[in-house]
Amino acid sequence: MSSPEDILRLKQLKETEPIQDAWDLWVNTREALRETTALLDDPELRSMAAQDHAMLSESLKEIVKTKFPAILVPPSRTANLSSLMELKSGVGGSEASLFLGEMLRMYLRLAQVSRWKANVVVSNGLDAGGVRDAVVEFRGAGAYDALRLESGVHRVQRVPATEQSGRVHTSTVAVVVLPLVEESDAQQDLYSMDDIKVEVMRARGAGGQHVNKTESAVRLTHIPTGITVAMQDERSQHQNKRRAFQVLASRLMDAKLAREMEERRASRRNLVKSADRSDKIRTYNYAQERVTDHRIGLSLMNLTSVMEGDGLQVFLTALQKDHEESQLEDMLQED
Amino acid sequence: MSLALLAARLGKHQAALEYQWMKRAASPAPLDQMVARRVAGEPLQYILGEQPFGPLTIKLRPPVLIPRPETEHWTLRLVDVLKAAPSRQLAVLDLGTGTGCIPLLLCHLLSPGTVRAHGVDVSPDAVSLANENAVLCGLSASDANVPRNIFRSIQSSFLNPLFPRQPQLTPPFDIITSNPPYVSWAEYVRLPRSVKHYEDPKALFGGPDGLDFYRAIAALVAVKGFLNPGALVVVEVGDGQAERVRKIFHSAAQVKSEIWLDPWNKMRTVIVKPIF
Repeated sequence: MSSPEDILRLKQLKETEPIQDAWDLWVNTREALRETTALLDDPELRSMAAQDHAMLSESLKEIVKTKFPAILVPPSRTANLSSLMELKSGVGGSEASLFLGEMLRMYLRLAQVSRWKANVVVSNGLDAGGVRDAVVEFRGAGAYDALRLESGVHRVQRVPATEQSGRVHTSTVAVVVLPLVEESDAQQDLYSMDDIKVEVMRARGAGGQHVNKTESAVRLTHIPTGITVAMQDERSQHQNKRRAFQVLASRLMDAKLAREMEERRASRRNLVKSADRSDKIRTYNYAQERVTDHRIGLSLMNLTSVMEGDGLQVFLTALQKDHEESQLEDMLQED
Repeated sequence: MSLALLAARLGKHQAALEYQWMKRAASPAPLDQMVARRVAGEPLQYILGEQPFGPLTIKLRPPVLIPRPETEHWTLRLVDVLKAAPSRQLAVLDLGTGTGCIPLLLCHLLSPGTVRAHGVDVSPDAVSLANENAVLCGLSASDANVPRNIFRSIQSSFLNPLFPRQPQLTPPFDIITSNPPYVSWAEYVRLPRSVKHYEDPKALFGGPDGLDFYRAIAALVAVKGFLNPGALVVVEVGDGQAERVRKIFHSAAQVKSEIWLDPWNKMRTVIVKPIF
C-alpha cells in the first residue's frame, strides 16, 4: 500500500518527468553533435557527417527554442477537467439559431475526433429549424483546456437561406465554456446548501393525485452570487435538480478559477489583455470562405474545413500556443 | 405535422418538451402513434411506459397510478430523515403501493441489507407491476452472500378490519408509508380527463370526503403489536386535507405529528409518530 506521502512524491516525480526528458534529449543530441564534429575531418565520411551535423545543429536550436520554454509553462491545473459548453443565439434572430445548430455540429465532430464523450444536455429547437440555445457536456480529460478559449462571441456573415434579396446578414452566437464539476468532486467547497434557493416553476393546482401532467422544471438561485440555473429538459424534478446543481457547480468553479487567475495577475505589474466573454472572438465569413480569429489575427481560407472540425483544430492549437506564450511572458515580466 | 398537433393540444412550451421526450423514448411505438395517443388525452407516462422516480426508472402500465413529483419529493425527504438516524433494520409497509415506487426508492437509497419492505394493493394489476419493478430494480430476492434490501407485494385490502391478521403480513413494522386514494366524491367528477379516464379509480377515490383510507390507517396504528416503538407513519394527503388527517390520527391513538410541504408549498405529507 502506498501512503499519502508516497503518492505526493510520485506525483512530484511525475511532474518533473518532462524536465528530465528534455534534458536527456539535449544531452544526447549535443553528444551526437560532438561525435559528428569529430568526423568532419575524416575525408571518407565528411559529406555524410556534414549532413548529420546540419541536422543535429538544427535539432539543438529547436530544443532551445520550443522544448525548454515549454517546460517553463506551469502545468495546467485544469488538465483533467471535462467541460460544459453553453451556446446562445445573439443578434440575427432565426439566422443566428441556424448558425448555432451548425456550430453545435462542428463541436460534436471535434468531440468525436478528440474522443470526448459529448452529450447534448439541453437543446431548444425552433419550428423553423435551428437551435435557439444549447448546453453540451464534453467528457474526457483535456476537454476543458482545449475548449475554454472558445468562450466569447462568434460572428457569422452570410446570405441566409431564408433571405430573398441576397443581402449579407451578420449574426452572432455567444459561447461560454465552463469546467465540468463531477458530483463527487467536492461540490461542497463551491457552495453551501443554505445559500441555495430551490424553486419549482409552474403552478400545479391541487397537485398530487389530481394532476398527472409532467411538471418537472426546476430553478436554483445561488443567493450570494445571484447566479440562477433553470432546468426543464428531464422528466423528473429530481433529474432536473441534479442537472441544475451540476451547471451551478460548473459556473461557480468557473468564477473561482477566474478569481484565482485575477489574483495571480494582480500580484504582477503587467496588464494582461482580458478575455471578456462579450468580446467578439471569431468571424465566419461564408462569401470569402474565410474564418478569422481576432485574438491572434489568424485567418483560415477554408471555412468548410473549420465547420467539419479539422480546421477548428488548427485554431485551437494556435490559441493554445498563444496562451502558453503569454503565460511565459507573464512569468518573464515577474522578475 | 406531429409537433403542431401536440402544440394545439398542450400549448407550445409543454408540446416541445414532450415531443423531445417521445423522440428520446426507448418505446418501440412509432412517434406519430405516440403523438396520436397523447393528442387523444392519454397521459405521457403511460405512452412512454415508464417514469423516473428519484434515480430509479419505474415501469408503468395502465391503469396503475402514475408516480407524482410530490410523492418523489417527500420520499426523498424521508430517506434523508432515515439516513440521519443511526442505521438499523427497518421493516417497511407501504399501503396502496401501486407501482411500488415509494418502497422501491427507500430500498434503493438506504444501506443494503437494512430494509425489508412489503407492499399491499387491492388491485392485482398493481401487485404484479410492483413485483416486476422489484425485479427490475434488483430488489426482489435475497442472496445470502450479498446484503440486499428486499421489496415484495401482496394483494389485500387494508380497509378490511381483519387486515392486520393477514397471514402474509409480518408485523411489527418500523415504517408505514402510504399514498392512499384521497380524492373526494365532489372532486372526482371534476378531475382532468387524463386522470379520470386513464388512471385506476380505486387508486384515486378516497370515499365521500376522501378520508376513508386515513381512518383505516389510523386504526392500524392503534392495533397493539402492529408497530415497533419509534415507528413512523408517513402519509401523503390531498390539497387542504392535512389538518383533518392529522386529527384523525390524534383521535385514534396517542401520537405526535408534523406536516411537510411539497415543492409547490402545499401541505402534502403528514408524519405521525406514535407515543409508546
